[in-house]
Amino acid sequence: MMAAFGQVWQIARLTFLEAVRQRFFNFLLLLSLALIGSAYFFRQFDFGPQELRFSADFGLGGIMFFGSILAVVATAQLFFGEIENRTALTMLAKPVRRWSFIAGKLLGVSLLIFVFVGLLTAVLGAYLWWRQGEYISAWHTAKLAGEQPTEFPGEMRVQFAGLAVNALLQWLKFSVLAAITMLVASFSNTNLYTVVVSFFIFLICQLQYIAHDAWAGIQSPLLAGLAWLLGKLFPNFQLFAVGELLVFPTAIPVPAGAVATAMGYGILYLVGFTALAVGSFRSREI
Amino acid sequence: MSTPAIRIQHLTKDFRLGLRGIKLRAVDDLSFEVADNQVFGLLGPNGSGKSTTMKVILGLLEPTQGECEIFGLRSDSVQARRLVGYLPESPYFYRFLSGRELVAYYAGICGVPKVGRAKRVAEVLDLVGLSAAADRRVGTYSKGMLQRVGLAQAVVHDPRLVILDEPTAGVDPIGAIAITELILELKRRGKTVLLCSHLLAQVEDVCDHLVILNQGKLVAEGAVSELLRREGVSNLAVENFTPAMRAEVEAVLARHGARLRQAEPARVALDDLFLEKIGPGDGKKKGAP
Repeated sequence: MMAAFGQVWQIARLTFLEAVRQRFFNFLLLLSLALIGSAYFFRQFDFGPQELRFSADFGLGGIMFFGSILAVVATAQLFFGEIENRTALTMLAKPVRRWSFIAGKLLGVSLLIFVFVGLLTAVLGAYLWWRQGEYISAWHTAKLAGEQPTEFPGEMRVQFAGLAVNALLQWLKFSVLAAITMLVASFSNTNLYTVVVSFFIFLICQLQYIAHDAWAGIQSPLLAGLAWLLGKLFPNFQLFAVGELLVFPTAIPVPAGAVATAMGYGILYLVGFTALAVGSFRSREI
Repeated sequence: MSTPAIRIQHLTKDFRLGLRGIKLRAVDDLSFEVADNQVFGLLGPNGSGKSTTMKVILGLLEPTQGECEIFGLRSDSVQARRLVGYLPESPYFYRFLSGRELVAYYAGICGVPKVGRAKRVAEVLDLVGLSAAADRRVGTYSKGMLQRVGLAQAVVHDPRLVILDEPTAGVDPIGAIAITELILELKRRGKTVLLCSHLLAQVEDVCDHLVILNQGKLVAEGAVSELLRREGVSNLAVENFTPAMRAEVEAVLARHGARLRQAEPARVALDDLFLEKIGPGDGKKKGAP
């Protein structure tokens, strides 16, 4: 068993090394960094400390948008790269179990997403820290000059620990999306089909809260049951948005167990979709 | 009697095509055995079921009917695959790794212990003549070098059975001869080699035993020496054979009820002529393209 986990790690490591060399990843990373960097132009609008909130929302939106593209496209590319180049043939002819192969590929993609989200969050955090520092120092300067500046609003103070927790939740959400993509790839024949179907599922997961509201009014027990089943089948990605509430203090504090619940929820779906992908890949003829 | 390296019994493999699931029979009731420490040829035209048979042996495809065993173990078990090394046709490897890193990676995957892994990798790279190019990126390798690094990854875990799918496809004659020598070296080291090749001359040179498939069925099987023997006909190679001598020989043969069927100037094989003119080339042996 330990040998199988060793294989998973080796496959993951190679997958990661292959992925960071891909032009797609580097292009997406540069684009995302440029987007976060462009928050600098919010200074033009004299929002005051509100600028921090705008910048944070802008950066987190960028991470969500590009992170989801990365999770889907990188997973599909790395999987079909192995199939089309027939490196999977060489690999699976060795004493490698199919679950080790799928788990290794997924872990490699997950590491890639971790680096992506971590790097972008660090850049966003550094930018917010710098801008916040400038506002605070301007307030001190005004105070020393004998002016009566308004207190720097507490609700505008960036909670950097919250930003880190949000990054962790986003990473988990994208890992679940990568596992969904891997499940689709495990039975589909083309990269394009996998990407299209996975994005469609991503949209369902992202907009599930709307469907929840619509389903609440269903009278028929059969339809209600079906709706409930579909609701359980696709994870509700809005649950991971709890992390965004941690970046700035809120009037109603986020419940203590909310983050742990979201993490547990994510891990459950991650394991579930990975197991389904393994099951489907087992019967695939290479 | 020792356990055969490969035992295939009544193997049938069907593929379902299209939405209507039309059945295509790729292999039809195939049975044969490969004895240990043999070089065994698997021949047949395109679409004859060679690749499907090989994939079943490698545990990559599940048979529709029948069984396949490797040294007595089910071929789809991980234990069986520990005993097998495989070189695919026109292999493609991770281009960003060096030859050494690539072979070390597969060694790790196959469970070669960390202690001594680097030594083992160096040994197999030397065996395939890639030591000098071991630290170059695989992306810069020629086709012949790719085949050789493919061979290195196939044997790095010291398997008992080595399966080679078109090992000389696209390789120049010098590279092909080097690979042929490697196959014979593997046999000397006690390995069993299953060779799938369209180069019939190569198969004739190295294989002890072969099977020929056509449309998924076995059409010939046996020792190469037996299959290629022409009953009642012998070849003589004579130096300075003049027309007068030929007349005398024909007369003697006629007295014994035999007949001279053919006498023509001996020819050198094209491979030999090529080698004579080009030379084996030290650079090739040491990993040049």
